[in-house]
Amino acid sequence: MLTGFLRKENLSSRKPAGTGYTSKVRVRDRYHIVGFISSGTYGRVYKAIGKNGQKGEFAIKKFKPDKEGEIIQYTGLSQSAIREMALCSELDHANVVQLAEIILEDKCIFMVFEYTEHDLLQIIHHHTQPQRHPIPASMVRSILFQLLNGLLYLHTNWVLHRDLKPANILVTSSGAIRIGDLGLARLFYKPLNSLFSGDKVVVTIWYRAPELLMGSRHYTPAVDLWAVGCIFAELLSLRPIFKGEEAKMDSKKTVPFQRNQMMKIIDIMGLPNKENWPGIVSMPEFSQLHSLTTSRGPNHFSKSSNLESWYKNCLKTGGYSATSSAGTPGEDGFDLLSRLLEYDPTKRLTAREALEHPYFSNGGPIPANCFDGFEGKYPHRRVTQDDNDIRTGSLSGTKRSGLPDDSLMGRAPKRLKE
Amino acid sequence: MLIRCNPLTASSCQDEHRFDLNLGKSGMAANYWASTQRRHWLFTRERLAAIRESFREKDKVAHSQFPLPDQRLLNIYFSQQLNKLGKRMSTRQQALATAQVYIKRYYTKNEIRSTNPYLVLTTAFYLACKMEECPQHIRFVVTEARSLWPGRQILTTTNPFAAAHVPSEFIAPDISKIGECEFSLISEMHSQLIVHHPYRSLSDLQAELTLTSDEVALAWSVINDHYLTDLPLLYPPHVIAIMAIIVAVVFKPSSQTAFHSSPAPIAGAMREGGINIFAALGDKGGAGPPPRIQKLITWLAESEVDIKAVIECTQELVSLYEVWEQYSEKNSKELLGRMIKGKSLDK
Repeated sequence: MLTGFLRKENLSSRKPAGTGYTSKVRVRDRYHIVGFISSGTYGRVYKAIGKNGQKGEFAIKKFKPDKEGEIIQYTGLSQSAIREMALCSELDHANVVQLAEIILEDKCIFMVFEYTEHDLLQIIHHHTQPQRHPIPASMVRSILFQLLNGLLYLHTNWVLHRDLKPANILVTSSGAIRIGDLGLARLFYKPLNSLFSGDKVVVTIWYRAPELLMGSRHYTPAVDLWAVGCIFAELLSLRPIFKGEEAKMDSKKTVPFQRNQMMKIIDIMGLPNKENWPGIVSMPEFSQLHSLTTSRGPNHFSKSSNLESWYKNCLKTGGYSATSSAGTPGEDGFDLLSRLLEYDPTKRLTAREALEHPYFSNGGPIPANCFDGFEGKYPHRRVTQDDNDIRTGSLSGTKRSGLPDDSLMGRAPKRLKE
Repeated sequence: MLIRCNPLTASSCQDEHRFDLNLGKSGMAANYWASTQRRHWLFTRERLAAIRESFREKDKVAHSQFPLPDQRLLNIYFSQQLNKLGKRMSTRQQALATAQVYIKRYYTKNEIRSTNPYLVLTTAFYLACKMEECPQHIRFVVTEARSLWPGRQILTTTNPFAAAHVPSEFIAPDISKIGECEFSLISEMHSQLIVHHPYRSLSDLQAELTLTSDEVALAWSVINDHYLTDLPLLYPPHVIAIMAIIVAVVFKPSSQTAFHSSPAPIAGAMREGGINIFAALGDKGGAGPPPRIQKLITWLAESEVDIKAVIECTQELVSLYEVWEQYSEKNSKELLGRMIKGKSLDK
């Protein structure tokens, strides 16, 4: 591995002496790379351990630079990398992923995070293997509480996450929840441009709030709370509650109406209307929704919500009951879920309101370790050895500044890795 | 890692956030108190002076060989140049303000005479635009900066240093120079790129203090002016905003353009007026000022704002307007050009 470094160093065209930028800190002086964790369009993530007296395990996210020809050039950093670097440097909370440092070296950015052994996607998946067994209700409650607690911190600091999904909710080996991947996060106070204009598509489609699907230009922290509702449902049912198919952008990069995703929501939540969501009539995609419903005939969609029967059925098939070992989220759980999956973003619970919900205040203390009392064991994060060279690893894909966003490409590959 | 919030019960955990939500009397930015700006980018005057003195000590030759205008005059020049660049690309004020703060921060880590200030300006602008959500393409920024600062023009002056050098440019056509300088800026700022500006405190206070739109406009332009001083490195944004409001309410010049074209008279008026208002602060029972100003004084006295800091800010601004008299764009441009060419900083 070290020889790999040296060899490459000789090949790469170091800048001639002068005013050029040279990092004061070098990644390989501070970290020993253990293996490769995952890759995305932004670059790759490696597992590392500290060197030279620095203790602990780390996840190093390497942002790839643009390649122009064979030699890597400085081309200006993507806006999403800048956002993530700036936000992670500013934020500090027990339920938000912890940044150790950022190293800018050899035209690359290395964001060094604490290492987290698990994430919700992996935990959910584990409970479907070899056959379905429920995540204990007390664990779901602790996960949700910590998730909302981290989200309250973000929202209090004017940060919208915009891409909450199980894969981005990290879990440490001691059962602490950390909200991760702030690559799409943005500050929402007095935005210069409307939040809509920056990047037109946000949030993995299954977790995308209805107001976004309806083309809202002025979205709010409520989009993150919808995603929390979806994650809550998924923790209980072990599959995405609204698993729609994404309509891809056409060649002109106009954003299509996400008909299929909207239908998945309507199937369970009933048709949104002026009564339960007064703002819907002024939504850009309202006519699309109207034509969708008229084309299916008047009785195709339920006018009222089926969420309660979905929930009851979910508890029943999942094996949640007061007498089972898994316990049950009960009536309070349903009430919280229905208030998170509220069509009207102005009526949807805020993070603070959700934390004050009876689901949390009833039923005793909430352990800081979500694994408290859980007998099972989750597999460790998979780390491969085929690419240990953080500086030379081949990088595929394009940077994430533009459209379409990588988070929208689906997460099937991540599922397969398990 | 440490669990800083122990969620034993819902209520115990929410206490954790009480500090964050404590917006204070005037609804100050909730997140300033924990910000990197407050923790890492606020200096004392002494510290700032020591940093600059250490730069001078390190390279005395360059300092005597390449004299530069007063820091504030240089800031006026930078600000005007940034404004020109911003206008060409119709950028928002906030991005220009952020760029100016980046430049100030950068020059607490680097001596100006070891940099190409035009490159630093362009890069700070490019980076600030991304951070303030009005991104500009790097190629566009380079093109505009090159036509704004062709560099060669300096050589047509009667500058004795110029003749000895091959004609060159302040901003290279190659975008990688900006990209590289961006790494340098981010690295020197430790990726702490979020800047809290007084503009937000001003709009928060607008309703509470029932400011007229004229007063807000004037306070806004006072805030613009404070970027020409060291104040952004010395005081929190809400102190600056309150200073700007006091200046606007107490002096209320007929139009802000008049204010700008001739800063000297206002400086004198501010000095006297400033003394009056702060005297009135100490003497709450006095018959004193008109009700409009009295209201502001009462509010100030009841708020937990550091009055001493506000006074110091006002004084800093007064001295800016006084030194402004000596400003010459041509002079700043020539001295910078001479320095850049003389030290080959454009290479």
